[in-house]
Amino acid sequence: MTSSATPVSRRPAPEQAGPRTAPAPRGGGPARVSRRRRARTGWFFASPALLTITAVTVFPVLFSLLLSFADVRLEYGGFRILSLTGDHYAAVLSSPEWRQALFFTFGFTAVTVLLELVLGTAAALVLERLGAARGWVLAVLLLPWALINVVAAQLWGYLYNGTYGGLTWLFQQILGHQPDILGQPASAMGAMVVVDVWKTTPFVAIVVLAGLMLIPGDVYEAAEIDGAGTWTTFWKVTLPQLRPIMAIAVLFRILQAFGIFDLPFVLTQGGPGTATESLAILGYKTLFQNLAIGRGAAVATTTAVIVISCCLLFLRVFKTQADEGGRA
Amino acid sequence: MNRRAPASGIRRYVNAVNLGGLAIVVLSALPLYWMIVSSFKGPGEISAAPPTLVPKAATLGNYAEAFVRNGIGRYLLNSVLVASVSTVAVLGLSFFAGYALARTPLRGRGAIMTALLMLSVFPPIALVVPLFLLERQLGLLNSYAGLIVPYVALNLPFAIWIMRNYLVGVPRELEEAATVDGAGPLRTVLTVIAPLARPGLFTAGIFTFTATWSEFLLALTFNSEDGHRTVPVGIALFTSQYTVPYGTLFAGAVAATVPIGVLVMIFRRSIVSGMTSGAVKG
Repeated sequence: MTSSATPVSRRPAPEQAGPRTAPAPRGGGPARVSRRRRARTGWFFASPALLTITAVTVFPVLFSLLLSFADVRLEYGGFRILSLTGDHYAAVLSSPEWRQALFFTFGFTAVTVLLELVLGTAAALVLERLGAARGWVLAVLLLPWALINVVAAQLWGYLYNGTYGGLTWLFQQILGHQPDILGQPASAMGAMVVVDVWKTTPFVAIVVLAGLMLIPGDVYEAAEIDGAGTWTTFWKVTLPQLRPIMAIAVLFRILQAFGIFDLPFVLTQGGPGTATESLAILGYKTLFQNLAIGRGAAVATTTAVIVISCCLLFLRVFKTQADEGGRA
Repeated sequence: MNRRAPASGIRRYVNAVNLGGLAIVVLSALPLYWMIVSSFKGPGEISAAPPTLVPKAATLGNYAEAFVRNGIGRYLLNSVLVASVSTVAVLGLSFFAGYALARTPLRGRGAIMTALLMLSVFPPIALVVPLFLLERQLGLLNSYAGLIVPYVALNLPFAIWIMRNYLVGVPRELEEAATVDGAGPLRTVLTVIAPLARPGLFTAGIFTFTATWSEFLLALTFNSEDGHRTVPVGIALFTSQYTVPYGTLFAGAVAATVPIGVLVMIFRRSIVSGMTSGAVKG
């Protein structure tokens, strides 16, 4: 987090700009601009963006951290911090609501990301091989992804509706009785997974498709000469080449799924009971419905800590360098 | 990949790839079709069981209701304004930052990229209260700026990421030629790099626009007043009555989906090519 802030505020010390990073100097000839000047240009170009990010995210994160240790009293037109305490974390971590939300959020993330990776890769492979229709199929695939989350939630809420929903009717024809899809914990969770998979598989598909297009053709030629079949080629050639870009897609998806808010908020309001209450919903309810600022901040902070830990762990496991391909 | 003897007639089109394409189209489009059809159904038909695939008596009443009674037009205008300004700002800032990270010898480049990656998915719930309190102090609640500023900051990391990965693939020679001709860094970047970066800019732009167009949590908490409400909040609050007015809701939803649908259709190719750093070659 803060590592994005430090380089901004610190101008590169001239004596440091020396040989340590030393990428091979490109053969620019006499007009080559000095390294120091180019670094200065770089900071000049990068700092507006980095400063904006720092101002809007780093300060609130630190403030939220402070609030999570505070007894906050809301007053007319403001709030006051009464005292500092560590109680919120103990209360949050031991509460059944938090454990339930953690369980749902983890389960939801694991199931959706896995399904989206498999289906997104399949869709990308199909798109890559499609002929003239590819552009249009791609456009149709992207429509759910571009749809407003809230709209998607309302739309599927209508399809799942217990009395006149299209899907309810369909299930009635197959099962012989009318299921209450959003009324039962297990099927409500399943229903939520279906909506998320429908909506975000396209994201994985376009990222993987971009990766597929980068695989050089001669790799496939070599596999064909070796007599590898379609499956062998996929497992031994395509998949290893896709690994870095898949890791990026999965990373983005894990972290997005972990912060899921709009979908359960509109589709089920976290119900039935608390079956589909995500950590973000729990945080929102604690903050804005119970007006427990300190405790809500603690929920938000624990969520952020888990997200960042997952991110770091994932990056380590997959040894994916964030600046992959960038080292000239 | 496997070459087989050419089949004749319709059998030529029945293969795994084409069936897969068909499945993608049907699965993606069917719920959307349902939404569009339902927006033309009258109040009785929309809650009829069994549901009808084609409206028996198509009506524009839902659209009239959505625009006149529910003021969806105002929400649309607010959303267009917030999303467009945010996108333009993100593109401007991310282009220069992406260039700096791709082409200039910045120290700590890897650390910056990793931090950006994490920031781009930082759970907004962790930011919502401090930003809310801050905006209240600054009088930014229920204003356009109060949404635009956080939207820009939250979408910058991913946009920088796309821009940087794209610009890494742009050949250096052109840029060096401009430098030899005596152009300063700013002029080189604007006249030589910017036109080459177009697919990357399209991709980053589409991602930012869809994300800001769809954003709900901040819009719900910061701009709750009717005059500054965005489309997602307007649509979510349709349900705050006892029965959901699905017809009106879907009319509003269709109106909110058309702009973004058109954008996706126009830029469908550049969305993918902008993500591949070697795209300039093809």
